Amino acid sequence: MKLPWPAEALAFEESVEASLGELGGIELTRACEADPAQRESKLRRFIDDLEIADVDFRAGEIEASAAALCARAAGRIVAPWPLAQQLAAPRNGDYEINSVYLVSGAPRRAAHLDIAGRAIAVDVHSGIAHRLEATGPLCGMPLDPFGVPACLGAPVDTPCDTVLVSIVLNAFWVLGALETAVSLASDYAVERAQFGRPIVSFGGVQWRLADLGGASSALTELAGFTLAKLIEGRATAADAFALHLQMLESADLVLTSAHQVLGAIGLCEEHDLVVIDRHLQSTLRRPLSYAKTAATLAERIGAEGFDGLYPVRTLGSGTTC
Amino acid sequence: MTVQPMTFADDDSVKELRHLLREMIVRHLPEGFRGAFTEGASGQELANAFCERLAEKSLLTMSWPREFGGANASIWEQAALREEMWAHHEPRGAQYMGLNWVGPAIMKFGTPEQRAFHLPAIAGAKSVWCQGFSEPEAGSDLASLRLRAARTGPDEWQLSGQKIWTSYAGLADWCFLTTRTDRSGSKHHGITVFLVPMDRAGVTVRAVDSMLGPHHLNEVFFEEVIATEDEILGELDRGWEVIRYVLAHERIGIARYARSERILSLLAPYLPTDDARDSLAVRSAYARLLVKARAARLMNYRSVADSEASDGGVSGARLASTLLDQEVAAISLEILGEEGLYNDDRAPLEAWVEEAWRYARSATIASGTSEIQRLLVARAMTKAERR
Repeated sequence: MKLPWPAEALAFEESVEASLGELGGIELTRACEADPAQRESKLRRFIDDLEIADVDFRAGEIEASAAALCARAAGRIVAPWPLAQQLAAPRNGDYEINSVYLVSGAPRRAAHLDIAGRAIAVDVHSGIAHRLEATGPLCGMPLDPFGVPACLGAPVDTPCDTVLVSIVLNAFWVLGALETAVSLASDYAVERAQFGRPIVSFGGVQWRLADLGGASSALTELAGFTLAKLIEGRATAADAFALHLQMLESADLVLTSAHQVLGAIGLCEEHDLVVIDRHLQSTLRRPLSYAKTAATLAERIGAEGFDGLYPVRTLGSGTTC
Repeated sequence: MTVQPMTFADDDSVKELRHLLREMIVRHLPEGFRGAFTEGASGQELANAFCERLAEKSLLTMSWPREFGGANASIWEQAALREEMWAHHEPRGAQYMGLNWVGPAIMKFGTPEQRAFHLPAIAGAKSVWCQGFSEPEAGSDLASLRLRAARTGPDEWQLSGQKIWTSYAGLADWCFLTTRTDRSGSKHHGITVFLVPMDRAGVTVRAVDSMLGPHHLNEVFFEEVIATEDEILGELDRGWEVIRYVLAHERIGIARYARSERILSLLAPYLPTDDARDSLAVRSAYARLLVKARAARLMNYRSVADSEASDGGVSGARLASTLLDQEVAAISLEILGEEGLYNDDRAPLEAWVEEAWRYARSATIASGTSEIQRLLVARAMTKAERR
């Protein structure tokens, strides 16, 4: 019942984490936001050295796990590179694809599209893919630091699991970022003293920590569960949207609670929480908002049911009170 | 942090067990069975009969070690048993308490004589237990308990005081009673556990009417009740160790998430299907709870899988389950509307939703409030940070 992480995947995650650490960790993200050209100069070599472009999610359990853990490691510093998008790209198509973006209808902007290589956009509802083309230069904004104006190009073929794979990898990316936020909040609660004692001794702070810890754990478990189902070929669209919804809910709770624990210092640009918070937002808003994700999940459950101890077959089959 | 993912596809033995249990439930419990705790005696009689059938198939004590008459069931078989029972109105009735934590506590702390006397009775569904923990001045702060046990002879103790919120006390044959035997040290010292028969002179049970239904809440008065030395479980004055062991079993013992999943599944046909804005909102909220139920189940499985699960891990899983319980109860009434209030033969789902809603009010209070669970989670998180 327990699927251990393959040793190779864990070792790969360690390499990714160590390399990103050597590059400066979250300082690297700050530097690239200030000067986006540093993404190419500092991160391209990291991508090449670790042969990340050769990791093929669809090549079996080891590589799928390696891709997920790589996304999580990069998420811990919200690494300024379209890593989850590149890891989701199918490796053996007729048309070479370097990165995959999820969209809902026509996109307006896509993060890091300027360095994403040959990118495609896959509609989360239909699964239909098009080339994704930049229509202007990168235009960084606080909540969308690497957004590039984008539009759909010609249609392309892509494997039918592309939406599922992308959702899972995005979730691992976000999970990594939330793990950092949890750690920042827990550390601070222990270190910061007020009224003559560490603030962790106050019930209100402890409850905040418990809530953000629980939200992070829920995402950890659901991400692992959905990845395992995907590897086994049992994941459905409803499973993927369920994970996406949990990702949004966990992110909201963790980030809000972490800010509350950290107080004013957590709002300062010099604090890592701000970088995590701001840089996550585009991943949390594209392609679907929370409400639209929940509505889409309900639709998928209505169409295909939902697996569980007591599975849901369909919704509203006509029985009335 | 390296948390391994788990698929939790049941293996064959767990699938077979679930199938067998569901078959027994259909065959041996009447349609509309709502659990043992109903008005009159029929619910408890049905529960006792069901327990005897489980015992016949060596399922009642399957989680126990073989040396105590169990079947050494795997942790996943034990989880499946908890899930199927709780999702079907706990047809073991009050017996689950004896099986889940009274029995294991006697195995761990009991004398050979106590084991020989009590364990076969629990295993044979012949004794019902209640848990004498809470007192008027000792709720969440359990270690402040005061019920006094005073030595009155070389082999004799006298018990005086009151317990409250004691579930099933009116049905119970035995009480797992926590007492104060020494007031001189810290409040965690000087606590002693006694195993006391409920029919002993001086024990009085007064039922407390509550929104949960009959048998759930009682007061139990001990007026100069005589107990003997051989009724002490574990060491004199070191009962807190026993209590901690029991609480760890208690927190993991109820699969609330399984009942929530079953209610959600049964509610699916009642969801509105039109495109009105409020109907879309209800379907979205329902979908969200399916996700929360799945996450709660996985968190509980994590605490089962991790044999060295910290208090924080167990409490986090429990917190997720209890909050889910209340949210599912709330949306159930939202979906069923006014009919959800009925508890007569007009009620949809045989009034399960109405009962579940009332019972869910206690989810974040019983067996340690959600506030206490949060403290335990936070403590574990910050301990990890300090390491």
